[in-house]
Amino acid sequence: MDFDLHSGYLADPQPPLPQTLLSNLPNSSLTPQTAISRPNGKSPTASGPSPTTRNSPGAVISKIEAIFEAMTDCLLGEKSELVIQLKTRTSKTEATSDGDGNDESAPSTRKKAKPDTRTFTFPSKSPREVWKFTALLRILELSHEALVTGIVTTKRDMYYRDSELFIKQAVVDRYVDDIAYTLGVTRDALNVVAAAKGLVVGSFAITRKDTSVVDYSSEPEGVLIPNVKEIADINLDEVRWILVIEKEATFRTLASNQYWKDSLAGKGILITAKGYPDVQTRQFLRLLYTSFPELPILCLVDHDPDGIGIMSTYKHGSIALAHESATLAVSSVQWLGVRSSDFMGGYEEVEAVGLLKLTERDRRIAAKMLEKGGGYVDVEWKRELRVMLMLNVKAEIQVLGNAEALGKWLDGKLVDAVRIE
Amino acid sequence: MSKQYLTTHTVDDAHITDIFSLAVTPTQVLSASGASSIKVHSTTTPDIPLAQTLTNAHKLGCHHIVTSRNGRIAASAGFGGEVKIWNISESEEWEEAGKIVDGNKAGEIWAIALSEDGQFLAATTYDGRINVWDLVEDRKKIREYETKGSFGMCIDISRDGRFTASGHESGAVYVFNNDTGRMVHSLPGLVKPVRTVAFSPAGTRLAAAGDARVIALYDVQHGEQVADLTGHSAWIFSVDWSDAGEYLLSGSFDGKVKVWSIDRRVCVATHSETDKTLWCVKWLPKVGNKSEAFATAGANRSISFYREATGG
Repeated sequence: MDFDLHSGYLADPQPPLPQTLLSNLPNSSLTPQTAISRPNGKSPTASGPSPTTRNSPGAVISKIEAIFEAMTDCLLGEKSELVIQLKTRTSKTEATSDGDGNDESAPSTRKKAKPDTRTFTFPSKSPREVWKFTALLRILELSHEALVTGIVTTKRDMYYRDSELFIKQAVVDRYVDDIAYTLGVTRDALNVVAAAKGLVVGSFAITRKDTSVVDYSSEPEGVLIPNVKEIADINLDEVRWILVIEKEATFRTLASNQYWKDSLAGKGILITAKGYPDVQTRQFLRLLYTSFPELPILCLVDHDPDGIGIMSTYKHGSIALAHESATLAVSSVQWLGVRSSDFMGGYEEVEAVGLLKLTERDRRIAAKMLEKGGGYVDVEWKRELRVMLMLNVKAEIQVLGNAEALGKWLDGKLVDAVRIE
Repeated sequence: MSKQYLTTHTVDDAHITDIFSLAVTPTQVLSASGASSIKVHSTTTPDIPLAQTLTNAHKLGCHHIVTSRNGRIAASAGFGGEVKIWNISESEEWEEAGKIVDGNKAGEIWAIALSEDGQFLAATTYDGRINVWDLVEDRKKIREYETKGSFGMCIDISRDGRFTASGHESGAVYVFNNDTGRMVHSLPGLVKPVRTVAFSPAGTRLAAAGDARVIALYDVQHGEQVADLTGHSAWIFSVDWSDAGEYLLSGSFDGKVKVWSIDRRVCVATHSETDKTLWCVKWLPKVGNKSEAFATAGANRSISFYREATGG
């Protein structure tokens, strides 16, 4: 997952405000608090244009630039300090988006239901505040860059661009959301999305909106799932199947063996979201599905309640995002495995490979899934859940064997699936 | 000397999904499955007609069903964690008589067993406890046995009601004295998950089997293992003693059903109507002078009936 994102790394993030930074810093609703002249007379606070235009890239760029212009003025006017005002979200919101960053916040003020406004000044006697100020500016700059170039970035990317400054991902996560909140826009409007989690590789290519073409067969390790917003066209001519895999390790094994190219079932696409799928992976799969609905989409998950849950999320949507299910669900998803019949001969050699006991949590989840309506858990899955509970046994994808054995197993299953289609 | 059993009837697709458990009375077979209904078939005529359907007995499906020896009381345990008690009426219809509400969390009860007269219900839990309820006295919990915390996968009560035995995922088999409320034996030998335990009709022997693929026979009084019945090549899910204690019936993951002679400690018959898992095998109570008969059920959703071939 560590890509070479350090190219844009700033060697020395410590001196917080080099002039070059200011010149292109993207600023959102961080409002200069002092009586700095605002050339365009626009108020940088959240209440700005009408809601429809509020999130447009131009509007957001203006907001960010207003903040930096103010700072420039500040410097030019030889004012003694620079100030950023930040609205922080309620503690409840924060807890869900970032459970890790509480140490930096002022807990007493955060507990209030109303948003708080915090002020960050530079220079400051507190090294901590200087650091925060610097981090905020850097995020503003990176957001501005994303907006100006039109390239959507991820919170993960941002962190890697300056990991020494940010220290940990949670800092980026929180400040990005705080900045968006302060500006009164969604995080997406900053052209920043949650870290893309999914990986994809296969015999296909996409044309991006900037007309560049990305060939997904050229990266043997797989690459991050693209943001569907950037995709202008997708070429699936060679693809006969799509395999969605729960586990990153299995994905890597198959990707490095170029299974997507050499399968007996023809060429295909491998996708993993490394566990429960994020929205971006689901959006991408959904795009593949809507582009070519006849293409078989097969799911390879662990034989345990979470495996079924992951498959259910792809196919029927997550409960948490029930309102988005219509735009994310991929109803053609089929279960390739692992079924109990794939590993349960009841014979010694299979047991040795590693059957695991269900945990109490597994059993609870399984019972909950049995309770769910048909909309989320297919009849066949329920049968397997009951068998899991009866046997009290689960198994990981790895039970199917090493790369070679797995490839053979997949060949058999995929050839059938492709033929039926 | 082997014995011959013939399939006399098969109730095809008795349920829409796996049949996990069978219970018998002198005149009926009750079956429980992943579906919500419990079905009751009559064994008094050769065509095994459906006698009653207990609809919506367990919303998420039912994994265990048991009857008292006298055939008047039944108990069933569902995947939602609920346990229901059933009584048979004068007109031979089963009616729900109530529920066991465990004082703790739902979903805790797993395997269940009823005493001969149906007064006592014993059940295992996921975390290895064994509880006993008095169904006559307000369904009050009267015993709580603690074990070492391994999932209790199976349970039985001896016909005289004196002993309860439980089989655990760890391979442990425990025998409890119901009068004193104490564990009397912790039986070694199986190591792998024990999925079925059964007392012999006289209560002197205990059979236990599971993933070890052997059936271990124990002497209940002394707690010694007296025999290993080997021959199954897959996990064993169910064993049952014949009325006279002469024969043991067993069913396994690979669909094989075997009959074992207890005297000679050998397998005397093997049948495999299906290669699908047999979740449950049961002797039918001997009625009149009819020859020995048994029923099997499992993943193929059907109930098959076998009877010993007599004469030549």
